[in-house]
Amino acid sequence: MTYERGLALCLVLEIALFASIGWNFFTAGNAGEIVRASAEIGLLALALTPVIVTGGIDLSVGSLLGLCAVVLGVTWRDAGWPIAVAASAAIVAGVVGGALNALLVARLGIPPLIVTLGTYSLFRGVAEGVTAGVRNYSDFPESFLFLGQGRIGVVPSQLVVLVAAAIAFWLLVHRMAAGRMLRAIGFSPDGARYAGLPVGRRLGGVYLLSGLCAGVASLLYVARLGQAKADAGTGFELMAITAVILGGTSIFGGRGSVGGTLLGLATLAVLQNGLRLADLPAELAGVVTAALLLAALGANRVLQGRTHELH
Amino acid sequence: MNFIKLGGARGAPPRPPARCAGVWSERSDDPLARLHVLEARSNPAPLAALTLTLALVLALALVLGAVACRGGAEHGKTIAMMPKNKGNPYFASCRTGAEEAAKELKARLLWDGPTETDPAKQNEVVEAWITRGVDVIAVSVENKEAISTVLRKARARGIKVITWDADTEPDARDYFVNQATPRGIAETLAGHAARLLGGKGEFAVITASLTAANQNEWLRQLRLVLAERYPDMKLVDVRPSDDDRKRAFEETQTLLKVHPEVRVVMAICSPAVPGAAEAVKQSGRTDVHVTGLGLPNDARPYLKDGVLDSAVLWNTRDLGYLTVHAAHALATGALKPGVSSLPAGRLGAVKVEGDQVILGTPFTFTKDNVDEFHF
Repeated sequence: MTYERGLALCLVLEIALFASIGWNFFTAGNAGEIVRASAEIGLLALALTPVIVTGGIDLSVGSLLGLCAVVLGVTWRDAGWPIAVAASAAIVAGVVGGALNALLVARLGIPPLIVTLGTYSLFRGVAEGVTAGVRNYSDFPESFLFLGQGRIGVVPSQLVVLVAAAIAFWLLVHRMAAGRMLRAIGFSPDGARYAGLPVGRRLGGVYLLSGLCAGVASLLYVARLGQAKADAGTGFELMAITAVILGGTSIFGGRGSVGGTLLGLATLAVLQNGLRLADLPAELAGVVTAALLLAALGANRVLQGRTHELH
Repeated sequence: MNFIKLGGARGAPPRPPARCAGVWSERSDDPLARLHVLEARSNPAPLAALTLTLALVLALALVLGAVACRGGAEHGKTIAMMPKNKGNPYFASCRTGAEEAAKELKARLLWDGPTETDPAKQNEVVEAWITRGVDVIAVSVENKEAISTVLRKARARGIKVITWDADTEPDARDYFVNQATPRGIAETLAGHAARLLGGKGEFAVITASLTAANQNEWLRQLRLVLAERYPDMKLVDVRPSDDDRKRAFEETQTLLKVHPEVRVVMAICSPAVPGAAEAVKQSGRTDVHVTGLGLPNDARPYLKDGVLDSAVLWNTRDLGYLTVHAAHALATGALKPGVSSLPAGRLGAVKVEGDQVILGTPFTFTKDNVDEFHF
């Protein structure tokens, strides 16, 4: 049994449990709600998977989401740009934020934890500065809100974005040479460099992608809530990292899978939703998440021990 | 795209330069070979055991939780109530009243809300309640614009919606349980000042900022009440504190020097109450009293000192209690447009004005009752 299969079993068990104790849990409508509630964190988690595979981390994604949301609000309402142009501006803002991380990590060689801890404060700070912390952009046009609140048939519109992103990241991590390079970098950056791999370019690339995803996630977030404010996406980075780690990606780098991240995300999202529908206190989610994470880290540890034994 | 086959490099692994030899020998193999081994790894038995434990831990925790929380008899209406923040003692106090009312009415009370500062959390909780199917949703609104959408959705699905403590847009809810009207606050504050002054003399106000909307409305009402009932009392100064305790302290010190005849300082935002009380205490003036609009925890030490005469707010327990009564009445159809009064258990008949249920006169914390409140 692989780690992913173990996690999948865990998810099935979780769903069966909530289907028996929750109210209206096992319905198509609720499945849609779970997707809606987790789409933004899902995008961030997908983007964080290759980042963590390289042995890096990006703590700034939640703050960058907030900044992009503010850029959307400012360009649309204050500058009067059409909504499509404003949305593009928000995505560009995400790419620029990601490029800043990429520059500092890949070019200057500063540890990603320090870089993104800095930009975590920087992005949120700029967002709050621009809006004085209180300005709230709302009344977005219906066509834009559809992205976050609409349905295509029975499928929530976010799902389309999430699936597209999942396929793209799966191709990157599991089907391209670039994905293998990311793993090599995660195992040993020096080794990868001596093997002639373009370490700087690949590292820069994953932080850039992470910024791009934060930009796209900001659109889903604003469209879902119908408002853009500087506090958008507070704490999302930790939720996303939790999903990635629970999905079996090693925080030390070198090992990880996109499928695992999606399973980790689903486990967390179903847990949050199921607890509410079973009238259980949502605080329990924290406790159960902690138990799951510790068990996952234990499994990770065993795996690493096994690889050493193989040599 | 650069499609280098890394696996192919295994035949001729790049040799590290000599200075890295230490690192290399620790790692025992070159990284690309390790990569290969990992991808072809077999299925270790301990992993299976761990994933099974993982699943069992989850199941056990949930079942235990379900048993612990699901106890209790069958209930009538299901009322889902949400504070702005579950961790805030103010709302914990509201909850005790809400639970008291739910018990009386044999209703099932769901109490859930954000525990952190994620602004999307309130929406997610309401979404879950819509899916779950509750009779009434009662929300203390953190963020008007964001929550209106989802509250309108709840109403469209036939769920009754109440706001309490803080309101949303009027078309997104059926009723708002209003804890205090500006008029009620002004009357109570003026009453305390009049009692302390004996109906005659000078007093001053420490406000939040000179542009704060709530405070200015209270001041306007206060001036009206003075004109109607207490013509001999004179409001000689209004000073801003910017919602800051230290600033309130400094402004009160200045105030006492500039207006030595002032006998009552009225602090009308919560950080200003301890600030003003501290200034009066340090001045050693026992002939000056402080009253105002504040929280019991801030006020407690100064109430016990005797510097602070009283702190006005609303009774948070009664607010929770009334909200559940209003929600229940809305679900049973007793509370509907045109109703002007609502029987609310131990609170008696409560006034309903249009689409607002009014809690009534504000509550005064004094040194005798302040220990019953912790927020």
